Amino acid sequence: MKILLAEDTRDMNRALTAVLSHNGYEVDSVFDGEAALEKLGTDSYDAVILDIMMPKKDGLSVLKEMRARGIVAPVLLLTAKAEVDDRVAGLDAGADDYLTKPFAMKELLARVRSMTRRRNTYQSNELQYQDIRLQADNFELIAENTIRLAAKEFELLQLLILNADHELENTYILEHIWGNEPEADADTVWLYISYLKGKLAAVESRVTIRGMRGGSYQLEA
Amino acid sequence: MEEKGKRKEEVTAVSGIYGDAEPEMQRTMQEVLAEIDRFRSMMKEKHGEDPVEHCLARIKSEESMRNKCLERGLPATPETALHEIRDAIGIRVVCAFVDDVMAVLQYLKSIEGYEVVCEKDYIRHAKPNGYRSYHLILRVNGFYVEVQLRTISMDTWAALEHQLHYKKNTEGENHLIVRELKRCADELASTDVSMQTIRDMIYSEGVFRETQA
Repeated sequence: MKILLAEDTRDMNRALTAVLSHNGYEVDSVFDGEAALEKLGTDSYDAVILDIMMPKKDGLSVLKEMRARGIVAPVLLLTAKAEVDDRVAGLDAGADDYLTKPFAMKELLARVRSMTRRRNTYQSNELQYQDIRLQADNFELIAENTIRLAAKEFELLQLLILNADHELENTYILEHIWGNEPEADADTVWLYISYLKGKLAAVESRVTIRGMRGGSYQLEA
Repeated sequence: MEEKGKRKEEVTAVSGIYGDAEPEMQRTMQEVLAEIDRFRSMMKEKHGEDPVEHCLARIKSEESMRNKCLERGLPATPETALHEIRDAIGIRVVCAFVDDVMAVLQYLKSIEGYEVVCEKDYIRHAKPNGYRSYHLILRVNGFYVEVQLRTISMDTWAALEHQLHYKKNTEGENHLIVRELKRCADELASTDVSMQTIRDMIYSEGVFRETQA
């Protein structure tokens, strides 16, 4: 995993780089905001650590510009204890977390792990449940046969698989899949559940969906 | 099927490969088509809908049959054409919905005097390239009849895939085309299921008005 570190204090920078490398990360370190943005323009990072106080461009400006460019890598801000407003501004501007100085190295490492975990485990490309595999990059539903799902069908099945151990309420589904679209209602959910049931059968899976229109749903095999 | 015959079948100019069996083959083919028509009329009367979109039938041309014998390393004789190779008489039934495909299939299998020789369900188990259809080989009046049953989507796809074999593309282009054809096949199959689901909802009374107990 690759990390961009932007910290202007030489000793701190060197120490952080050493610790991160020692823990298995590939580290690119820079000493000011402009250099950080330059790196972000040419390379791809799994995580970015930004000091707020930096010459040329400060951490918040770098962060805002990063997000404006569509760079979604998680960002950890390093701040001084007194800068509450900065921390609030930073989080609202798109930072994922912050650490106040002075901090313990092991806490930094834990926060970096936490930040990057979300990208890996929670967004894995393939989900498995019983005899089916669901692939996120091409919406394929695979059992003995293969079929492609439409976007909402994929999202609904993904939600059902991730919550396979309990029932899902209609309202929860409408909120998460349809974002409370005004035209979506219990009938919409029922139709999509019906689509999924048909497609699970079409790929010869044992899995089906339990639940009635308007009620709660759960996968069963 | 290599050639799409019209509802009226082609009569080969030189009758060689089938010996003198052709008239009987024509009659058999007509008979099976009549059965399919019978089923269609029954469904129209009962449900108001014709389950079949269209139906094609042909007797394999002399040339095609000879080529096939050659491919299989068999002598180009009536013996081979009528008893080894099984698609001398070919019928393709295309329906709008998957359920209709299954309904026609069940009807054909249940006709007295028609022997079911072989069934290949490429709908439930698509071929690796994405091809989907139901192949039913019957024995009627001593002749093999191959019936291919499929939905309109599957038919459209098969027609396109067929063209791949005629046009010359580079190897790179071929890989891309083959991959994309597979993707389309899987998406079309998905749409077929969705449409069937919608149709079920329309015809299953009270489903939309049903509320949880």
